[in-house]
Amino acid sequence: MLRAALLIFQNEFRLLSRDRVGLTMLVLAPIVIIGVAGFSLGNLYGANPAAHPYLVVVVDHDGGQVAQAIEAALKSEAAVNVTMVPSVAAARAFVARRNRAPLAIVIPAGTTTAIESGRKARIMLYVDPIKRIEVGAIELRISRMCARITARAQDQARARLAAAGARLRARLDRLDAQAAAAQSAAEHYRREMLLRRGAAERELEAGLRRAIAALEVQTHEAARQSAVQAKTAVENALAPRRAALEAVRAYLLALQTNESEFRRWFANLKAAAGSHAGDIPPPPSFPTPPPAAQLAALSQPLDFSIPAPKLPDIAVPRFSIPSVAIAPPEIPDFAAEAKALARAKSPTLPGALGWRELSAGRGPTQVNAFDQYVPGFGVTFLLIGMVMGISLGLIDERDWGTLARLRVSGAPLAGTLIGKLLSRFTIGLAQMILLFGIGWWIFGISLGSNPAMLLAPAAAIAFAGASFGLIVACVARTHDSVMPFGAVISMAMSAIGGCWWPIDFEPGWMRTIALWLPTTWTMQMFNDLMIRGLPARAILWPTIATLGLGFGYLIVGIAAASWIYD
Amino acid sequence: MIALEAVGLHKRYGERVALDGVSLSVARGEIVGLLGPNGAGKTTTLSILATLIEADSGTVRAGDFSTQTGRAAMRRKLGFVPQAIALYPTLSARQNIELFARVHGAPRRQASAAAASALETVGLATRAHDPVSILSGGMKRRLNLACAMVHRPEILLLDEPTVGVDPQSREQILATVRSAAESGTAVVYSTHYMEEVERVCSRALLIDYGRVVAQGTVTELIALGGRHPRMEIVFQIPPSAGWLANLEGASELAHSNAGGALELELASLAQVGEVIERVRHFGGRLTEFSVHSPNLSDAFIALTGHALREDAAGGR
Repeated sequence: MLRAALLIFQNEFRLLSRDRVGLTMLVLAPIVIIGVAGFSLGNLYGANPAAHPYLVVVVDHDGGQVAQAIEAALKSEAAVNVTMVPSVAAARAFVARRNRAPLAIVIPAGTTTAIESGRKARIMLYVDPIKRIEVGAIELRISRMCARITARAQDQARARLAAAGARLRARLDRLDAQAAAAQSAAEHYRREMLLRRGAAERELEAGLRRAIAALEVQTHEAARQSAVQAKTAVENALAPRRAALEAVRAYLLALQTNESEFRRWFANLKAAAGSHAGDIPPPPSFPTPPPAAQLAALSQPLDFSIPAPKLPDIAVPRFSIPSVAIAPPEIPDFAAEAKALARAKSPTLPGALGWRELSAGRGPTQVNAFDQYVPGFGVTFLLIGMVMGISLGLIDERDWGTLARLRVSGAPLAGTLIGKLLSRFTIGLAQMILLFGIGWWIFGISLGSNPAMLLAPAAAIAFAGASFGLIVACVARTHDSVMPFGAVISMAMSAIGGCWWPIDFEPGWMRTIALWLPTTWTMQMFNDLMIRGLPARAILWPTIATLGLGFGYLIVGIAAASWIYD
Repeated sequence: MIALEAVGLHKRYGERVALDGVSLSVARGEIVGLLGPNGAGKTTTLSILATLIEADSGTVRAGDFSTQTGRAAMRRKLGFVPQAIALYPTLSARQNIELFARVHGAPRRQASAAAASALETVGLATRAHDPVSILSGGMKRRLNLACAMVHRPEILLLDEPTVGVDPQSREQILATVRSAAESGTAVVYSTHYMEEVERVCSRALLIDYGRVVAQGTVTELIALGGRHPRMEIVFQIPPSAGWLANLEGASELAHSNAGGALELELASLAQVGEVIERVRHFGGRLTEFSVHSPNLSDAFIALTGHALREDAAGGR
């Protein structure tokens, strides 16, 4: 089967190479349609139609700065050609009757005054409802222009307020500096006063100390002289008494010696009395003399001194010069107040709430219409090519009899089908690569951050389309039925799948149907890679979904073809 | 040695019975003709033999293989020339032949050589590189045959291979078929041209309404028809009455007064001279005469009660 598939694969290329017109149209037809769609519908994607600008009629009843700003802004738009007319009637005629402009702008009188006085102003647009898309495109630009003008006016007012605030803050800063200087001088004065008072107090205290010390010296000298005189007088009075006491002491000492001699005599007496010693009565006892030391003391000179008189400490009282009764005036904290004032925010106008477009992915916000149409119509024509190529090829082979002949020759139908699918898949892939190359070269499409990844959706849709062609060949079994059926179903799948316009234009139920179409997932992959600039992992699930649908078609197609053609 | 054998083939398309117990066998080197009008079941039979469709019942065997047990193996033995020209119109003659040779398993170089040989055989060597679409009908028929024979099949199935071709191409095709048989190929040759069967087939099956009416050699089939030679005479002056009396086996079939024509059935071709002599003898004078020898068509009419309807449509 593999050999048969390979041979059929080669043969398909050989057959296609004989069809030069068909081969050329594989690329030429999509390029033509892509060019037409891209150039004509590019405005839908925000392309700048500078080559064919919109004609906009303007009536200026205001004549003020705002009107001039509007006119200048319109004239600066490359997409807009401005024609001034004098009256509303002329403007409406321009739009409605002469069918030349999609809309007219009327700037009412007083617009500038209203805006300058902070009131709301409104310009009038007279539109041609038939030209809704152009009107929408211009309105978008006018909306942006109004936002720009309003923002510019607010910016100017904000700048004026900011300048006034700055001047006020400068004055406050100067006041702050002056207050700080005054506060500093007062503080200096206060400190000087305190210093001087302290010095006076210390000088007074020192004088007192000196006076007290002199008084103490004089007092001590007087007391000493008085004590010397008293001592002399006492010693003079005690001298005879001390001599008498010396005589007594000598007597007592002699008496003490006599007692000892008496005791020895009495002992001898008793010894001499023999037996009659007992009859001798005891002698009378001598009185005990006072101790010798005591007696010696009687003879010692009298030494006494009169202690110096103890004078009480005279404490020097602390001197404190009482503060001046008149307190210095309180200096208010000008600095803090001034700082608080300086920190306080100046009142400003409320800011304008605006918006800025940022790409949710990594790509730009502005889309080249061809980024949509090259893959979109590429997929469409690939699908048509696949569906027609596979189904007509199969029907041709059946009608030519070569299908039967191949089977008899040993090529199983499955092998033949796989060979055909492979060849068409390869052709489809090459077609997509070529289209993207031309799209990049001529239309400047984005190939994303990794152009090689574009092969994934291209291969997936080529596979799904080839498989779907098999089903079409089984449903429509003649040339006459394949042409309308295949074309209609290919175009329907492409349109619903978002190949011709962004899928978000479609109602919800249609988007639900689209989930079951490989075109939807393929376009999501192309958009993710080319427009949103997402990384490769973002297309994993869409690739699986497309391949899953392709495998589903393949299984159904081979089963049906085996039943019908085998 | 039997190369191909079919036994009791039945095929029904809805209510219509296409084949009703067709059996046949073909030996190596033998050419077996399938003769019958359009719709008789020839193509259905060949399609079953070629394994393109399955019989409702019955078996087909090619050597050791049958459609039930070895369809792929059977196909390797087969060469099939479909009734319609089965060629890629945008490819050249050589590319067509090479493709089928390669599908049959020949390597590229061998396929190329076989294609050159096949083109030579069918007389298209000088047109090898012309796309099929610009070849004449007869050339396409020859190319159709070459594609089936490029791999030298053991069994060759031909489904009306000479429809609409010029005499030169027909002769070429018939010569090629004979040559293939001589080299040992078993051939099943389906046609509604009895002359071709008479010329190339060693045996034939007369098929009508899906049934084999008769089979055998051409002589046997003609004999089965039981018809005699016929002679058609146009008189300038008719002979006098009784001129045909006593001519054994001869009888008058029809007489046209307007044209003065007469149709006779004779016992044998040997009586033609006698008839002419009797006309002259009985005072008559001939404008023209023609002799019709009994053939397969007559046998078919005799056996089925109707003619091989396609003779007129085939322009022959």
